[in-house]
Amino acid sequence: MRSRDLGGFWAGLLVAGVVLWSLITTDVELSRLLSAGPRIADFLGRMFPPDPTIMDEIWKGSAETLRIAILGTLGAVFFSVPLGILASETMVSAAVHRPVRTVLAFIRAIPLILVAMLMVGAVGLGPLPGIIAVAFHATGMLAKFYAEAIDGVSRAPIAALESAGAGPLLRLRYAIWPQMAPVVARDTIFRFELNLRESLILGIVGAGGIGFYIQTYVRSFQYDKAASVTIAVVIMVIAIEGINVALRRRFA
Amino acid sequence: MMQDAIHIDDLSFGHHGAEQRAIDQISLNIAAGDCVALLGPSGAGKTTLLTLLDGRLRDWQGRVSVLGTPFEPTRALPLAKRADTGFIFQEFALVERSTVMRNVLNGRLGRMPSWRALLGNVSKSDMDIARSTLSDCGIADLADRRVDSLSGGQRQRVAIARCLAQEPKLIFADEPVSNLDPSRAADILTLLTSAAQARGATTVFSSHQPELARRFADRIIGMRNGRIVFDVATRDLTDDATAALYDDTDPASGARLKVVS
Ligand SMILES: Nc1ncnc2c1ncn2[C@@H]1O[C@H](COP(=O)(O)OP(=O)(O)OP(=O)(O)O)[C@@H](O)[C@H]1O
Ligand SMILES: [Mg+2]
Repeated sequence: MRSRDLGGFWAGLLVAGVVLWSLITTDVELSRLLSAGPRIADFLGRMFPPDPTIMDEIWKGSAETLRIAILGTLGAVFFSVPLGILASETMVSAAVHRPVRTVLAFIRAIPLILVAMLMVGAVGLGPLPGIIAVAFHATGMLAKFYAEAIDGVSRAPIAALESAGAGPLLRLRYAIWPQMAPVVARDTIFRFELNLRESLILGIVGAGGIGFYIQTYVRSFQYDKAASVTIAVVIMVIAIEGINVALRRRFA
Repeated sequence: MMQDAIHIDDLSFGHHGAEQRAIDQISLNIAAGDCVALLGPSGAGKTTLLTLLDGRLRDWQGRVSVLGTPFEPTRALPLAKRADTGFIFQEFALVERSTVMRNVLNGRLGRMPSWRALLGNVSKSDMDIARSTLSDCGIADLADRRVDSLSGGQRQRVAIARCLAQEPKLIFADEPVSNLDPSRAADILTLLTSAAQARGATTVFSSHQPELARRFADRIIGMRNGRIVFDVATRDLTDDATAALYDDTDPASGARLKVVS
């Protein structure tokens, strides 16, 4: 009991220390903090009413975001199939799947927006860096999911095909794939939803899509237009969510 | 004089991490064309022995040769040599989400060129063999049904059809009727043994039902604790020997019993 109380005390002290450190070292003057409220209110005020005249830009931006998500997901599937096989216990030895899994974990650890910035630097502005970034980032997760799908199937039919003289690729095709197909479909749709959500903001770093307009309008103080784009983004997220719920029910 | 289909000399095997050996110094020969039943209580080592003879286990001791091919103790049997032995699994081991036809064609994978099989290109002769085994097994009308929509008895027929489509010279059947009611069980064993006989294939099946073993096998081998307790022609099997095989109180269990007077 006593040592537990003491643990609570130390944890409290640690939290207090961390908060104090952040407050003291963050360069925020009290006056600015106090005026932040009214400023935000003013900012929000200037967003209203949202400007409805930019429907063309919204459609163009949304369509590009959709294209980035579709092509990015396609790229991720393309790389995740071989990498998923190489990351599965069932298909390859530990000497192969361990390092591959480590690489995938590293890929997952790099935030998408960072990859997008690097890609803009590498290949220039536009949707291409966005597509590459989404494909790269999503592969980290999708290849892991595919590997888990392979390892999650029932073993007995695999042994049966092995007994009949079928090699590893034939076992993958005829014993593993039929079992894992619904899981792959579900995981891919799930990842597509994430890709769509995440690519909404890619334009902010110049990697294409609707985010580009948010950035442009905020920079040029056209807050009413920025508000329209924001509303469009929110509607898209809700729509994606709804479609995904419906699809997931289908694959449950 | 016919050649032995199976030749086992002083074979021992322990599963990875298991304390006791699943197979303990077994020696035995099985003649080509024979139908042999393997009896024994749960954990006797029946599945392990059949799996080993199917070429899917490694790191055992002793000498094994199947259909004239000597096995290597440190390696599983090369894929190219597997097609000649067929295996019927205790729990069917079918691909549930595939059709009956696809499952039966899976039995032919070892007989097709790999590239063609990967492309899903089935030759007419493979298709004909699959069709005729389906009708031999009485399930021609189920060809397009998915396996997960079938009953236990129907699944067992699919599992047998897959094995027969492989055109094996040697058939291992691991408790092929354990999931079926008595009359279905007899039907299935009739199907299996007569199909094997018609094809001249050697058959080894394991079972928990001594009556069925007596009815369908020429020779009966009793196993317990990884050892052979008796090995007799079917007509020489005594009721005492079968009773002792399953008797937990018998102090002599695991040792060799005297069965033939
Ligand atoms: N994969 C495994 N790993 C470790 N031990 C195993 C494994 N498979 C079987 N065994 C052990 O080996 C022994 C023999 O098992 P086996 O499955 O061959 O028996 P069986 O005669 O087929 O039994 P049953 O009638 O229940 O099918 C048992 O003690 C079992 O616990
Ligand atoms: Mg068994």
